[in-house]
Amino acid sequence: MRVLVTGATTPVGAALVDRLTGDPAVDRVVAVGLEEADDLPASLRHPAVSWHRADLTRHRNLRHLLAGPVADAGVDSVIHLALHRSAADRGRRIRRLNVDATRLLLRLAEDHPTITRFVFASSAAVYRLRAETPTVLREDAELALGGGAQWLRDRVEADVGVCTRMGLSDLSVAVLRLAEVLAPDAGSQLLDYLGARVCLRPLGYDPMLNLLSVDDAARALHLALQLGANGVFNVPGGDTLPLSRAIECCGRRQVPVPGPLVGWLYGARGHRGGEFRYDLNADRFHHTALLDGARAEAELSYRPEQRIDWSSLLPS
Amino acid sequence: MSLTAQIGRRLLRPDQLERVRQLPLRDEGYGFDRFGMNRDGVALMVGLLRPLYERYFRVTSHGAENIPAEGAAIVACNHSGTIPLDAMMLACDVLWNTTPPRALRVVVDYFVDALPAVNVLYARAGAVGGSRANFHDLLDRGELIGVFPEGVPGIGKPFAERYQLRPWRPGHAELAIRHQVPVVPCAVIGAEEQWPQIGRIHSIRPFGSPYTPIVATPFPLPVHYHIHYGEPVPLGELYAAEDARRAGAVAEAAGLVRDAVQGLIDRGLAQRKGVFR
Repeated sequence: MRVLVTGATTPVGAALVDRLTGDPAVDRVVAVGLEEADDLPASLRHPAVSWHRADLTRHRNLRHLLAGPVADAGVDSVIHLALHRSAADRGRRIRRLNVDATRLLLRLAEDHPTITRFVFASSAAVYRLRAETPTVLREDAELALGGGAQWLRDRVEADVGVCTRMGLSDLSVAVLRLAEVLAPDAGSQLLDYLGARVCLRPLGYDPMLNLLSVDDAARALHLALQLGANGVFNVPGGDTLPLSRAIECCGRRQVPVPGPLVGWLYGARGHRGGEFRYDLNADRFHHTALLDGARAEAELSYRPEQRIDWSSLLPS
Repeated sequence: MSLTAQIGRRLLRPDQLERVRQLPLRDEGYGFDRFGMNRDGVALMVGLLRPLYERYFRVTSHGAENIPAEGAAIVACNHSGTIPLDAMMLACDVLWNTTPPRALRVVVDYFVDALPAVNVLYARAGAVGGSRANFHDLLDRGELIGVFPEGVPGIGKPFAERYQLRPWRPGHAELAIRHQVPVVPCAVIGAEEQWPQIGRIHSIRPFGSPYTPIVATPFPLPVHYHIHYGEPVPLGELYAAEDARRAGAVAEAAGLVRDAVQGLIDRGLAQRKGVFR
């Protein structure tokens, strides 16, 4: 098996490449990212990995990548992880990466002479949360279509864009909706929230959260690749706990504050450069919504195994 | 020890605390199940309700042995009282009168999820939002679910219509058939007189509740609660799982449960000596 991994320098991407290089069925990994070759993590320096620096917001780069190194290496599978991680950034360029590049990569993969599998790492953020939402979300739960911040809009549009191509070509397409990966540099909103010494949370609400480790995320993607999975799969993590307990686990102080005030205070903090955006998280700070992993367990044999190591997550 | 645990311990007798400790809980690793229930939360809730259960409403339980000792089942009950004290008393009653102790996962309406503090207290005590997916999940996990098929119209029924069941929603019967589980009919006698409602303001809907009730007394009356459990209606034996797709079969099954509950109500009313005795 020969695999193209976009977003290979993200924590999940690097862990995935590490797993792929240890898989005897994988004889080559074409890894793509924005970093210079000198700055690569150890897993990307493996002899079976060929590194290609490419800015996927430039669609010409993407076409050249698929027609050149990917075709030359005889890549048969694509794992697409390259989404912009920062919610603070916005604009046309971000959308070109999140939505347009995803769409183009899929279209190029459909027409590609050697690629037969496409796995897209989506996110649990695409689900709409409200009081009527079930506690446990299956893959057919309502999506947060329309409105919202660009960070969310892009994720939903990319996810739906991939889903709508399922079954329309010979390409097997899998969308894995990952629970929030709580790790540095993984684009975790919650981690930035927990990074503050004092965490404000809505007074009178303490919803359950489900969190995914980097290793489990990489393992789920690897399983989807190995099994040639088709369809949408929720990927829950091994940690399910109330928001208040997550704050405790990080050794932070929590202050319950009336809901509207929380948004205002975090909005003020956001102007000073914080990554956490309360408007993106307000619903899940009020309502419990966890991913149902039954389908991933049945079809991918995926069950979360790794727990979050709270002690090493944040500086004390 | 958390404040919740400390309060719960102070509010319960040692034997009651032991029952709470014995409650089965699918711990996800932090002492909570995926719906947010934990034993400290249960202890706090039943501890807070203990004065109401034991002294104010003086709840008398009849036929709790009809509740299956294990495995998935649904307890279907009449609903009344302006505020859902009947559901709270029922949950306490199941905990105190089942061996081994079982937690009744009471299904609550959506608007409860929007009520500050109440939503957390309920979730920690085992209550669950009323979506079908939650139902499926709980039944798959072998839980005991408490439902009130009359819904909100039941809790707000006029005093003159007490103990007359409102239209009986069939969802519980469909799920019981689909999952092949029994339904335990249940009647709460007393709650229908606890807080007579004389009107309601539909234009004021605090926290998404359907209306603001106007009640005849400043607080619920100290009626004597009698909770009657009937023999399980074996919908899983009477119907095949495929019948869950047939509206006629589901309506018929729901009718069986409704009749069983009405029968228990009639029997309970005939047996009691008075509203307050």
